[in-house]
Parts: sequence; C-alpha cells; structure tokens
Amino acid sequence: MSEEIAERKLRAPAKAVKSFSLLRVWTIATSTVTQLVRMKTFYFLLAFAVVVIAAGNFNIPSTPAKELSMIKKVSFGSMDLFAWLFAIVSTALLIPRDLEDRTLYTILSKPVRRIEYLLGKLCGVLVVVGVSLLAMWAICSLVIFSRESLYVADEMALIQEDGRYGAEEVEAQIALIREQGLRPELGFAVLASFFKAAVIASVTIFISTFASSSLFTIITSVLVFLIGHAHSMAANFWLQETENNLFVQLLLKLFKILIPNFQIFSFSEGIVQGEAVVAALVGQMGALTVGYIVVFLFLSLLTFVDKEF
Amino acid sequence: MNFLLQKVPRFVLVIVVLVVFGLIRSPIEDHIRDRLVKANLLLPPPGKTAMEQMSQSALIGTLGGLRSLVSTYLVLEAFQHFSDKNWDELHRTYNIITSLEPNDETNWVSFIWHIGINATANMQVDESLPQFERDRRFKEYAFEGIEIGERAMEQLPDSVKIKTQLAEIYRVKLDDKCAVAKLYGEVRDLDGAPAYADRFYGYFLAECPGREREAYEHLIELYHENEQNHLPSLIATVKDLEKTLEIPLIQRIPDPYPDIPGRPPK
Repeated sequence: MSEEIAERKLRAPAKAVKSFSLLRVWTIATSTVTQLVRMKTFYFLLAFAVVVIAAGNFNIPSTPAKELSMIKKVSFGSMDLFAWLFAIVSTALLIPRDLEDRTLYTILSKPVRRIEYLLGKLCGVLVVVGVSLLAMWAICSLVIFSRESLYVADEMALIQEDGRYGAEEVEAQIALIREQGLRPELGFAVLASFFKAAVIASVTIFISTFASSSLFTIITSVLVFLIGHAHSMAANFWLQETENNLFVQLLLKLFKILIPNFQIFSFSEGIVQGEAVVAALVGQMGALTVGYIVVFLFLSLLTFVDKEF
Repeated sequence: MNFLLQKVPRFVLVIVVLVVFGLIRSPIEDHIRDRLVKANLLLPPPGKTAMEQMSQSALIGTLGGLRSLVSTYLVLEAFQHFSDKNWDELHRTYNIITSLEPNDETNWVSFIWHIGINATANMQVDESLPQFERDRRFKEYAFEGIEIGERAMEQLPDSVKIKTQLAEIYRVKLDDKCAVAKLYGEVRDLDGAPAYADRFYGYFLAECPGREREAYEHLIELYHENEQNHLPSLIATVKDLEKTLEIPLIQRIPDPYPDIPGRPPK
C-alpha cells in the first residue's frame, strides 16, 4: 500500500511555481542580513560612537544651545555619511560574493525568479541599513540627552546663584537649550537618511548587475552619488562661469535626467537645525524614494534577467 | 516584452527607461526642491565666492552632501584662528560657514561678534602694531562687523540675536547711539524680543541728538504702563530727559533720582 502511495507521489505532476512569492523574497532578504552581519558590518557603529562622543566633548567657548546644535550636526551628518557609504559598499559586495561563493548558482537553479533574488538582496541591505540607522540614532540620542540634561542643570544652578532672574526668564533660557536638544522631529532626519541610502542602494544594485568587480561598483556608485549631490550646486557655478553656454546647459540637462538628484534627500540638515517638519513633503520624498527603487530594480532586472553565469 | 528584450539591445532599453524616468521625475523633483527650500529644510546652493574660497576637502565634503559636517569642522577651524588672533583667516572661514549654512543664526552672530567685537578689541591692545595701524584696523574691523551684520539681517530679517549683536558694535565700538536705538526699535517688534528691548530703545534714543522728545514720550509711556518698569535706569533717564526738555515740575515723575553704580549722583 505504502509503495503504491510513493509511486503515485513520484508520478504526480510538479506543482506550478508562483511567478512571484514574497516568502522567497523574505528568505533571500533574511539570508542577506545574516550574510552582512557575518561580514562584521556593524563594527562601524563603534567608529560612529567615537565620533559622537568626541563631538560631545568639543571644548570651545560657546553657549549650551550652540554646543548642542554642534553635537547634533556632527552626529546626524556622520549618520548620513555612514548610511549611504554602508548602503553602497554592502550592496556592491553582495552579488559578486554570491558568485564567488557559488551560492548564486544554487539559488538560481531553484524556482527563484531573478527579480525575487534582486528584491530580496535589496530588502536585506535596507533592513541592515535601517537597523544601523536606528542604532546610530539611539547612540546619538543618548549623547544629546545626557548633554542636554547636564546643560540644563548647569544653567539652572548658574541662574539660581545669580538670583536676578524671574521664572519667565529662567523658562525662556531653558527653552533655548531644549530647542536644540533631543526632539521627536529628529526621527524624520533619520528617515531622510534612510531614503537617501535606499535610493543609492537601488542604484548600486543596478550597477552591480553589469559591473565586472565590486571595486568598479563601489567607485561608480560613489561617483554617481557625488554627481547627483553636486549637480544643482555645480550647475549654478558652471553656468555663471561659462556665461550660460549652450553646450554646458545641454550637458547639465543630460546629467539631471540620467543621474538621481541626491541633493533633495539632504532635507535632514534643516530638521537637525530645528526647522519644522512638513509631513506632506516627507510623504512626497517617501513616494519619490519608492519610485527610484522600482525603476532601478526594473533596470537591474533588464540587465540581470538573462545574464549567463 | 519578450519581443522587445530579444530585438532591442539591452543598453538601449536601459537608456530609454532612464531618460523617460528622468523626464518624469525632473519637474517633480524641482517642485519638491523649491518647497523644501521654502520650508528651510533644504539649503540653497552656496554662493560662487564661497565655493572658490573653500579648500579641496571642504569642497568635496560640501558637494558630497556633508554641508553640516563641513561647516562644523570650519567652526572648529575658525576657533583656532580666533585663538591665534588671525582675524583675516577667521573672516574668510566664517564667510564660507555662513555661505554653507545661511539660515543658521548662531553662525552669523558668532561672525559679527568675532569681527566686530573681538577683532576690534584686539586692535586696542595689540602693541605689536603702530598706533596708527591699530586705529585704522580698529575702524576697518568695526565696519566689517557692521557689513556682516547687514548681510545677516538680509538673510534672517526676523532674528533678534543678530540685531542685538550688531547693536553692540554700534554701542561699544562706534558710540553711535542713534544706530543702536534704531536697531532696538526694530528688535522690540519682533517675535521673541527680550523684555528689555523696549526700554533699551528709549535709553539709546535719549542719547541720540534731536530725538530726546521722542525718547521721553516712549519712556514715560513705559513708566506709566506698569510698576515693573520703574527700574533705576528708566527713572534716571526719564529724570535726565525731564531736565533737558524742561518738562514742567507738575508733570515730572515723583521718584527720587536713583543711585546707579557708574552714574554720577545728582
């Protein structure tokens, strides 16, 4: 009886494979996270912590509010730098590493679509970037909060010692420090850095689908990032220098069309400086990020779909 | 799709998608960018002069989206110039800092303070220079401080701190009480103006030749407004003005002339 069942099972037609499965994407994403964690990528958080603690101890004569502002600028600036650099390097390493370890052959010989592979890899990188950003934010918040509490206590002691100021003036002075301290709006600055890292990661995954080496991918991605960032700044400069030369104008237009505009993703700087967050704008930036990811994944698929290994 | 993939070279397809996406996103990005700049969330590009004056590393950092980091590094560099009393280098460095972060009020205030107050103070005591040169540079730095203050006010017209810092140069370095009064007059109308701005406006107006009557009317209004304003400086200034303007005795305030340290007893 059992032999009969086994025979029937063997003869049964293979189950149709779904054309797209989120479960397969998730499996690849989790294995990518494990792969990146094994590469000891989180060690860079130590470097970040050193930078933030050093920033918290700049001893230049300044007001507490200014010192807090400086700590925030250095911390969030470094956070942004680490996030995009990490996104480029980790994404650039993934496909070549899979090729080198021959895991790519094993994965693609299974019923895994190439888009699922690419999406899984990208999701894995984004999870690691997201976790890193959250960890950096926690370190940063700890430093800002401790400095803020210290400054408030010092300032209160000074004011009380002086004894000339009323409750209203004390409150105004403390508000001045709190304005530059730890505020929930700073979370949007972290989100801005994540958007930027997500876009550059999707660009990098596209480059890595046709690049010959990880080094080429990293260099090209960094160049694309710098051009995409400097484009609008350099455009003003060059146009003034060349007196609006037609050739320069065309060249700049071409760059603008082909290369992502990373400068607009730097809106974290305004938030860090204490400007009010416009939720609608953050939403639009989120939508733009999704647009970039979809298009660059599609481009990656175009070059990767029938690539022979 | 398969037909396209088989017949059209892949790089052509990639370029077409990139161009189409670029054409769609460019106007959207321009629109978002304008709104981000308006909301002060995104900084406008630094001026041409700032970019020309930047060192190579600062320029690369700035172009790479690290404007805040570069500017913080430059603030530290400027502090070194301040410690070395190298005022010209400090001026150059703060020019770049304020171009990188034109909306940061504290940078402008420090710039005005360093050039208008510290550099001029240094010229008063720097004995390595002949007196004539010291006097000349004193004036140069004071006027540079004012020019910086005016640039700062153009950038941030509603800043209380910038106006009060600029008023300090006029008060301490140039003894131009009319200009100080004008600035405090502007400060008192701004949001977040300190309570003393209204009084200071009156005090300095009282020392501005030809505007004593205006100052008297302003200060007497403050005096009658509430008792918290019955401060020694206010009473003393009102009493001085009553004398100068020959206000009839019946209209004069009843308070005795206060004893203020630094002022001769009357």
